[in-house]
Amino acid sequence: MSLSAAFNIISSSFAANAGQTAVVSNNIANANTPGYSREIANVVTNSYGGADVASVTRVANAALAEQVSTSTAEAAAQQAISNGLATLAATVDDSASASSASGATQNGASPSAMLANLQSALTTYEDSPTSSSAADAAVTAAKNLATSLNSGAAAVDQVREQADQDMASSVATINSLLDQFTAANNSVVTGLATGANVASAEDTRDSLVTQLAQQIGVTTTTAANGSMSIYTDSGVTLFQDAPRTVDFTATPTLVDGVSGSPVTVDGVPITGSNSPMPIQSGALAGYAALRDTLAPQYEDQLDQIAGGLINAFAESDQSATPTLPSLPGLFTTSGATSLPSMSATTGLAAAIEVNPNADPSQGGNATLLRDGGISSPGNQTYTYNSTGAASYTGRLQQLVGAIGATQSFDPSAGLGASANLSDYANASVSWIQAENQQASNASSYQNALVTQASSALSNATGVNLDAEMTNMLNLENSYASSAKLLTTVNSMFSALLAAA
Amino acid sequence: MTMSPTFISSQYLANSLVLPVTQAQAALTTAMTEESTGQYADLGLQLGDQSGYELSLKEQVQQLQTLTSGNSLVSTNLSTAQNALSAMSSSAQSTLNDLIAWTPSANSGASLQTMGQSALQGLIASANATSGDQYVFGGVNSSVAPMADYYSTPTSAAKTAVDNAFQTAFGVLPTDPAAASITSGQMQAFLSGPFAALFSGSNWTSDWSSASSANTTAEIAPGQTVATSTNANHLAFSELAQAYTMLSEFGGSELSASAQQAVTSAATSLMTQGQASLTDTQTTLGATQSAVTNANSSMSAQLTLLQKQLDSLDNVDQNATAAQISSLTNQIQMAYELTARLQQLNLAQYLPVP
Repeated sequence: MSLSAAFNIISSSFAANAGQTAVVSNNIANANTPGYSREIANVVTNSYGGADVASVTRVANAALAEQVSTSTAEAAAQQAISNGLATLAATVDDSASASSASGATQNGASPSAMLANLQSALTTYEDSPTSSSAADAAVTAAKNLATSLNSGAAAVDQVREQADQDMASSVATINSLLDQFTAANNSVVTGLATGANVASAEDTRDSLVTQLAQQIGVTTTTAANGSMSIYTDSGVTLFQDAPRTVDFTATPTLVDGVSGSPVTVDGVPITGSNSPMPIQSGALAGYAALRDTLAPQYEDQLDQIAGGLINAFAESDQSATPTLPSLPGLFTTSGATSLPSMSATTGLAAAIEVNPNADPSQGGNATLLRDGGISSPGNQTYTYNSTGAASYTGRLQQLVGAIGATQSFDPSAGLGASANLSDYANASVSWIQAENQQASNASSYQNALVTQASSALSNATGVNLDAEMTNMLNLENSYASSAKLLTTVNSMFSALLAAA
Repeated sequence: MTMSPTFISSQYLANSLVLPVTQAQAALTTAMTEESTGQYADLGLQLGDQSGYELSLKEQVQQLQTLTSGNSLVSTNLSTAQNALSAMSSSAQSTLNDLIAWTPSANSGASLQTMGQSALQGLIASANATSGDQYVFGGVNSSVAPMADYYSTPTSAAKTAVDNAFQTAFGVLPTDPAAASITSGQMQAFLSGPFAALFSGSNWTSDWSSASSANTTAEIAPGQTVATSTNANHLAFSELAQAYTMLSEFGGSELSASAQQAVTSAATSLMTQGQASLTDTQTTLGATQSAVTNANSSMSAQLTLLQKQLDSLDNVDQNATAAQISSLTNQIQMAYELTARLQQLNLAQYLPVP
């Protein structure tokens, strides 16, 4: 071996050392970058006995990364549902009225509590049927109940409209992420073909997949050329060599009975009941479930309560031989001329109101509540208190009884086919609170999973500063040795040249 | 340079305490709210599908409270009615005593008349007793005074009917001296016939009483509805009114002593009947009063039970919460301490600066 060969080896040693130092520096620099995978310089012996950094390996863990993206998608879906349901649950939150021993009225705002207040007010009116203030109080309680149903329906519409807007921005985010992904994927593919370092591009690509998983549940596969394909969790292709078009048209106003448009990928719906392959997770799936299933079902229940109320307070023909149909009494909808069918109650919760004929603030007469004839004041056919007796309580007793009487409901609202109004309203509160509780628990659970999976991934692929520092010390020593070697070889050359 | 199984990323190590601290802080907020209110911070979230059950308990509480407060009104009405009935009864008793002491030879007819008139006025006043804005003997027609004033000007329908009946039977008015020819038998026949008819059926309800025969009702306990009044169409009222009117109209008249005797004996027997009827009514109302008292005490027992059930759903164990708060506080303090120490665990701190 010649001394010049020794020089070559030393020079390759410096090069290898620099390469490794660069990797260590890069690792230290990115120690706190989320999603960064640490890199390892692979040093090999080269043809003349020196050392070369042959390649830089990126420590990746596909299984853990997949787990992070799956749990992220699940958590995002549950979070979206939980947020929406919490808004709805707030409309029935009566915890403020928990000090129930203090009075005969509840402070909550739920239709259920308002119905109980109406029942109390009617019972009080029954005890003093001559009192006009008791009549006014009963009508006020009825108005509060109608308002509670109105605002419940408005809250549902608002939640659905918000979900629709969120879907629109989610779709925009997905499209933008897919565009960024295209660029990152192209750099990986070209980089691999040309032998360049693609670690940073791969990091970007992985981070984009995690961000995508926030919006929509995804699975990925990687082809031989390093190109990654993305599919939704239901199997619809989102990216394969090129991004697919994700389309959505927002519906600005979503009132009861109006359904929003689905999200499509290449024209195939991925949300809604008509989708052959509906997505299961990601915020988008959560928003869609809220907009298309959960909120509408709750609104159906409110509509059923409203329909049940109008029917329970209906006034029937009081003639000896009744011939005329029953009419909406205390509760009605604007311009209603007949009772609603319980199988077609869409929009009732939003439209229900106290009949102006019984509402003193609208020029009506509250004592019609006692006497009947709210549907057409002065018409003897619908007047229960035919003699006008001041202490007549027959009608009031009927009304109190009607609240507690079993009636039919549309089972499609999910709360059974028959119940009394109070129980039905309570069941609806139970339903929304149970859904809320479930979504909240699922959301906490999934978030814990995300944390765990992220920790595991971070531990598997992240940077340990101490390890890098140790490497750095090794490299320092190796650099010092190489320098010493260089000096020694140099002095040998000098001795040789001096001797010559 | 291979990854060892115990490899920990520095980022994870640095952030490992962030999440537990955040969670502990959130739990601390909740626990402090619960400690101060004694109830779950988010009841709906806590109860889930039991929310409806909890609401139904609250509704039952509310219903029982409403009924209990309504019952106090019912009790007031019942007491007013009982007092008025007692007044009628004692007035009937004293009139009866006076009547028994009265003899045609020793006493004047005018005193009979006064006796009858004051008793009738007392009866009408008692029958028109009010509780709040309701006439307690009006039945459901509680807004109208149940008994019209017999001595009103212009002449009341009842007085006109009495005068007409007498005129029809005997061709003269009771104040006419010619009335002296009426025999005891004729008088008896008149009193039990045309005169008695004035106090029954539609004559009573058109001339005397504006009350409705339908009594007021109230729900005093869940599902228990009772009649909470009696009304002026009850037999007691017409019997007493008939007796008093008799005395008032025919006592001071020009009638013969035997005819007067017929009047007093008819009045005596009517008053005795009237008193018995009054006692019946009082018993009925008394039964209702005790039903209300019973309903109140059973509802109060139920309220206690319901409240216990509600408390077990709504309330947190405040001792447990207090313990939780102190352990959470410890945990957070420890996490802060550890975070500070972890910052020191860094090789760079220990390497000599070259």
